[in-house]
Amino acid sequence: MYILALETTGAHASVAIIDEEERIFLKKSDGVLNHLQHLMPMTQELLAENNLRLSDITAVAASQGPGSFTGIRIGVSSARALAQVLDVKAIAVPTLKAFAYQAPDYKGLICPVFDARRNQVYAGAYRWENGAIQEVVTGAPYLIEEFLEKVDAAGDQRMFFGDGTKAYADYFQEAQLAPEEIRLQSAASVARLAKDLFSQGKAVSYEELKPNYMRKAEAERKLEEKKNE
Amino acid sequence: MKDGKLLTMAIESSCDETSVAIVQEGRHVLSNIIASQIKVHQVFGGVVPEIASRHHLDNINHVTDQALAEAGVTMDEVDMIGVTYGPGLVGALLIGLATAKAYALAADKPLVGVHHIQGHISANYIEHKELEPPFMALVISGGHTNIVEVTGYNECRVLGKTRDDAAGEAYDKVARVLGLGYPGGPLIDKIAKEGDPHAVEFKRVFLEKDSLDFSFSGIKTGVLNYINSEKQAGREIQVADVAASFQQAVLDVIVTKTVSAAVKMKKDKIVLAGGVAANSKLRSMMEEACKKEGLALYYPSPILCTDNAAMIGCAAYYKYKAGVTDDLTLDAIPNLPL
Repeated sequence: MYILALETTGAHASVAIIDEEERIFLKKSDGVLNHLQHLMPMTQELLAENNLRLSDITAVAASQGPGSFTGIRIGVSSARALAQVLDVKAIAVPTLKAFAYQAPDYKGLICPVFDARRNQVYAGAYRWENGAIQEVVTGAPYLIEEFLEKVDAAGDQRMFFGDGTKAYADYFQEAQLAPEEIRLQSAASVARLAKDLFSQGKAVSYEELKPNYMRKAEAERKLEEKKNE
Repeated sequence: MKDGKLLTMAIESSCDETSVAIVQEGRHVLSNIIASQIKVHQVFGGVVPEIASRHHLDNINHVTDQALAEAGVTMDEVDMIGVTYGPGLVGALLIGLATAKAYALAADKPLVGVHHIQGHISANYIEHKELEPPFMALVISGGHTNIVEVTGYNECRVLGKTRDDAAGEAYDKVARVLGLGYPGGPLIDKIAKEGDPHAVEFKRVFLEKDSLDFSFSGIKTGVLNYINSEKQAGREIQVADVAASFQQAVLDVIVTKTVSAAVKMKKDKIVLAGGVAANSKLRSMMEEACKKEGLALYYPSPILCTDNAAMIGCAAYYKYKAGVTDDLTLDAIPNLPL
């Protein structure tokens, strides 16, 4: 069994393959925000370097968001198209929850925080309990202060991840940040969570692989505001 | 390959139409599925890029399934994948591109990137089986107004372009001012039939002598000023007259410049392409002008004027036949020059 996982929601794209024994094969792009250009060539190289073929792939997973809207779409549309042609299942991996696998031995709260601009973040808090991931603060859009209050209320040791720790650096001066090499999105953890979801029977058809933007388009929001006035 | 014939799968997503087509030997359309988002964007009075991108993603895989089913073709039988890589809305383009590249990788097919305008011109090869280059083309749509000298299937040169708004954009804006709705082109064309095209003489903007470029931002302001002054004078606006006069002013310039380009460059054919090529007034004015100069006129049926993947498939076919393919790094280029 091999699951191919695509991660394109952040600044750097990455591709990973996880096998039966949970071995991970990973490839990361050094480039910033050029996912469309690099994603398929990286996938091709990753397969070739590990003597694998696309026909060996059992399922295709995509990090479904939140994150960059454009980035989400590149990953999800690529994964959908691959699954469609290869005639295999797709797996929608919640991007925030996947961070639990960036620190599988950490005992406290794992808190990914993504910059959503205008003092907002997409964030959540997760904890490992008996080998399972518990969602302590629901992954959702928050005002940065609102999210940090929720984490404080959970009253636990915690570690912060994601580009939000940089965008809102003032709020994280005293906080424990994850080591840089695991601070941002990685297809490796997406692949690990994908494998869990797959074994729980949560794989879907390519058309059911949906993005999770966690936010409406700005034009839609404005239209609704106008209607409510 | 099916029955010894080359099959192209083509994908178009540069604006608000998600389209996938299967084209046989370049000019024969086996299927051309178009999922239009016009209704989605109508409430916003124009295409909203973020919303267009979301809908492309929702629709594209299903549109592909439909295109294959209607053509009675399997992915295995497809010989290559053509896709629009610009110009257009970047977020919209990349859905088609990401999908096309994943298809190309998974099905092990060559990939051919197509210029959207080249696609519009190629719509005429589908419609008119006898048509061959060279000719003069007028590409006119919501996003483009170009006079293009076409010297071969893969060779062309832009002789004139708009310096501000595209013609279709001017139609949209004037339709909004007149309270007609969106999209403006067909609505103005329709109501103009009941109006007097010489009721108001809006300024025709020809720019410098011999220039084949266009400018349409002035006429939009002209219409706006006219409406305001009429309102101030307490006169009722005759919408049909204003629409007909606006259209006459815009098309006078477009037709004159296109015909003079053809005559100057010694072409005996004019080819219309793009969404506005479906405009009935443009067609009749062009017919008349071409007859006067002894030029042949070609234009596609309305369904091939709108953004569609069949035209992209045709353009991809001629690139592929010329030995041109792209690798998987193909990127979206929103301002891709012709």
